[in-house]
Amino acid sequence: MYSSSRLGALWVGLSLWAGTQTVHAEAVIDQPAPLFTGTTADGGKLNLNSLKGKTVVLEWTNHECPFVQKHYESGNIPQLQKDAAAKQVTWVQIISSAAGKQGHVTGAEAIKLNASRGAKPAYVVLDADGSIGQSYGAQTTPHLYVIDAKGTLVYKGGIDDIATAKKEDLAKANNYVRETLSALAEGKKVPHPSTKPYGCSIKYPT
Amino acid sequence: MLSMVLVPSVVLAEASPSTISAQASTPQVTARLLSSHLQVVAGQTVTLGIALTIAPEWHTYWRNPGDSGTVTTIDWRFSHPAKAGDILWPVPERHRMGPIVNYGYAKQVTLPVPIVVGDLVHVGEIWRAEAVVDWLVCKEECIPQQVKLALELPVVNASASYMAQPSPLITALQQQPKPAPWPVTLQAQQAGLQLQVLAPNISPQASIWFFPEAWGRIAQSVDQTVTRTPQGFSVALKSGDLPLKAGEALTGVLVIEDKAQRVGYAIAPTLQGSVPPTAPSQPTPQARSAALHWSVAVLFAFIGGLILNLMPCVLPVLSMKALALLSHPSLDRQARLHEGMAYTVGVVLSFVLLALLLVFLKASGQHIGWGFQFQSPIFVLLMAYLLFVVGLNLSGVFVFGSSVAGVGQALTTRSGLWGSFFTGVLATVVATPCTAPFMAAALGVALTQPLPILIAIFVSLGLGLAAPYLLIAAWPGAQRYLPTPGAWMDVLKQGLAFPMYGAAAWLVWVLAQQLDALVVAKALGGLLLLGFAAWVYGISRWASLAHRWVANSLVAISVCAALVIAGSVQGFSVTASPRPLSDLRSDRAPVTANSPPAWQAYRAQTLADLRAAGKPVFLNATAAWCISCLVNEKVALNQPAVKQAMVDRGITYLKADWTQQNPEITALLTQFGRSGVPLYVFYPAGSASQPVVLPQMLTTESVLSVFLTK
Repeated sequence: MYSSSRLGALWVGLSLWAGTQTVHAEAVIDQPAPLFTGTTADGGKLNLNSLKGKTVVLEWTNHECPFVQKHYESGNIPQLQKDAAAKQVTWVQIISSAAGKQGHVTGAEAIKLNASRGAKPAYVVLDADGSIGQSYGAQTTPHLYVIDAKGTLVYKGGIDDIATAKKEDLAKANNYVRETLSALAEGKKVPHPSTKPYGCSIKYPT
Repeated sequence: MLSMVLVPSVVLAEASPSTISAQASTPQVTARLLSSHLQVVAGQTVTLGIALTIAPEWHTYWRNPGDSGTVTTIDWRFSHPAKAGDILWPVPERHRMGPIVNYGYAKQVTLPVPIVVGDLVHVGEIWRAEAVVDWLVCKEECIPQQVKLALELPVVNASASYMAQPSPLITALQQQPKPAPWPVTLQAQQAGLQLQVLAPNISPQASIWFFPEAWGRIAQSVDQTVTRTPQGFSVALKSGDLPLKAGEALTGVLVIEDKAQRVGYAIAPTLQGSVPPTAPSQPTPQARSAALHWSVAVLFAFIGGLILNLMPCVLPVLSMKALALLSHPSLDRQARLHEGMAYTVGVVLSFVLLALLLVFLKASGQHIGWGFQFQSPIFVLLMAYLLFVVGLNLSGVFVFGSSVAGVGQALTTRSGLWGSFFTGVLATVVATPCTAPFMAAALGVALTQPLPILIAIFVSLGLGLAAPYLLIAAWPGAQRYLPTPGAWMDVLKQGLAFPMYGAAAWLVWVLAQQLDALVVAKALGGLLLLGFAAWVYGISRWASLAHRWVANSLVAISVCAALVIAGSVQGFSVTASPRPLSDLRSDRAPVTANSPPAWQAYRAQTLADLRAAGKPVFLNATAAWCISCLVNEKVALNQPAVKQAMVDRGITYLKADWTQQNPEITALLTQFGRSGVPLYVFYPAGSASQPVVLPQMLTTESVLSVFLTK
């Protein structure tokens, strides 16, 4: 059949091209951050793609985790959220605790909790099936990711460099999120793009 | 520091100086401060230790806590100047919870610390040590806790110092990682590292795990693939977020555990640049029973290739080719033989190329297997495009060449040979997802063989696939059985378009499995554009030159747009969370009359836990693009009798979905000498039972007989 030689050549060309492509399904520094659409605490939807053009911070949280409490009760994370908002940085809180597990909340509870803690994230995303958390490989609460205006992941890791649940360590700690956001604002290279996350494990569905 | 002889002394535990506040408790943990000695001497090194007794199901952490958690810390204060060393960490345990892996200790652990007692102590004084101990104790939830412990010891002359009674401290010192007694090397692999351990005397049943000392060097939650070699074993590790550079050392503890004991070996191999392996290793699959001798494998590969001809994804292509042959009854025997040869060369060459690609990818350390192309969404979409266009061509929407007659008569010997050659290529490509019985095992062996044998297996596979056609072409006797050409051929040709459309539709369905609904819209849009392009091309062949120019532009624009859509799928697959995976994670399908039986997603740890508990397990390794897998589920696994047998016998049904690349499942297939799905394994009750591998074509009876007799 005459046509098959053309088709064969077409296939060879296409497959060579396909072979050079690779799939990144994970959160890798300097690669596009995994996109997601999540349900927000107020019942809406948040599509990460809609935040293109803005710097975005993703914060995995669980209000019952002592490491999270360290950063909320001390006012550390609420302050970071306020500073972020002032600089047009979108802060997204993500709760990946499965139903019936520690830290699982309804939208209303999440909103109430933030109000009581003086926390003002731009969005709270409920991820009880853990799909967003797992696509990012989020492991701990807190676990932080920073995405630049182009949608590239520029930071992943811990909130700071002292892995304890003690508030008194905050003063000595180097806050990686603050460091990353300042570097982005100044157009500099992010000094520590990937650091060790610390905290409680995320209570994914088992 | 424990060089002193243990004195069977009358000094008993009650007389131990560690009395006052040497013990403290929280609801989850009891901590005790212990000493190796009952008295201290100026300038001496003693070992103090914190013994933690941890409530069931809770655990504390190792120096590297793993994906979450925090290391236990001890802050020392002494009454006299003294120097505390680092904690001597006993061999850790691995705790997995969902996707999170932690390194730590359950039940009890003692953390010894060497302490150099300063010279400024005098006989008769009391030497006091205080420890502030911080730990994180977790079950699901985590609690940071802190206790303060103190211990007072009298200062004596060297001759009067005694060691304490055998205590948890001694055990903890015995549980320290030992220096590795064999050479350990570390090499870079694509996306990871390979530890090579030249320890030939390790039991094949032993389980092996490498605990990295520092975060980021390896991806801690990824399963480590252990491959036995004649010289020992190798462990494949995936790089973490802070990958090792050449010249840096990977420090950590290699834990080897078999029935008798669990021993940790401290290792710190340096990453070699691009140094070739120290010894030529021929990894053998762990399950030796599933391995085949290579000559048998070559034979099986040939038979597998023959069977491939009957697969639904090959038969249409073969028919297409047979049709081409039918349209040339005037070709003489020699010309036909040439065509047959060209086809054979096309098939075999494609298989060899595929083999080389496989070797290359395997060498790059990617855990891939048969059918791997269909795990890439963009490849799937391009295949759908291709089959759709072939279908349109068969339907007569368009023809290549300058005139209709071109199809029949303009076929010169040269273009005929090329046509035959590329039909062979096409047959190979579309055959890949249909891993026929026999072939899987042969390929499993192939991947573990040196290059020449691997190539031989693939060539044999290709010869098997090409054999029937070659036979028809070569044997004039067979011609008599060929029907006379006629108008029915056009009908047949048009009819053959439908399997092509069907295959394209199936591939779109596969895409939907891999990604989500949006990709279906994109794929259908792309197909629409191609359909339009084919139609415009078809009707414009006899048009005037100017019209034809317009038509060609339209064709080019449509085809480009379709390719752009395919390109966008690539970016899209980056973002979408694979649906089968999320389904697997969250689902336990309910048991109802017409539904599939309740299953759980396969994870190596789940299987290990179930096996350890002695529970019977049925394992189904499948993929959305594997038709025989789906057929087996429909005709056997989802049948009420099989479901009932699983419920009655308490069999846990694990499903390993390989629709997308998954190293954990690739490792599982390798373990059984396979490189493709389906794979069905039944693990009878009892932790030491031998797994039974079921055939690749299941019937209700064959499954039940395995369940009932084992």
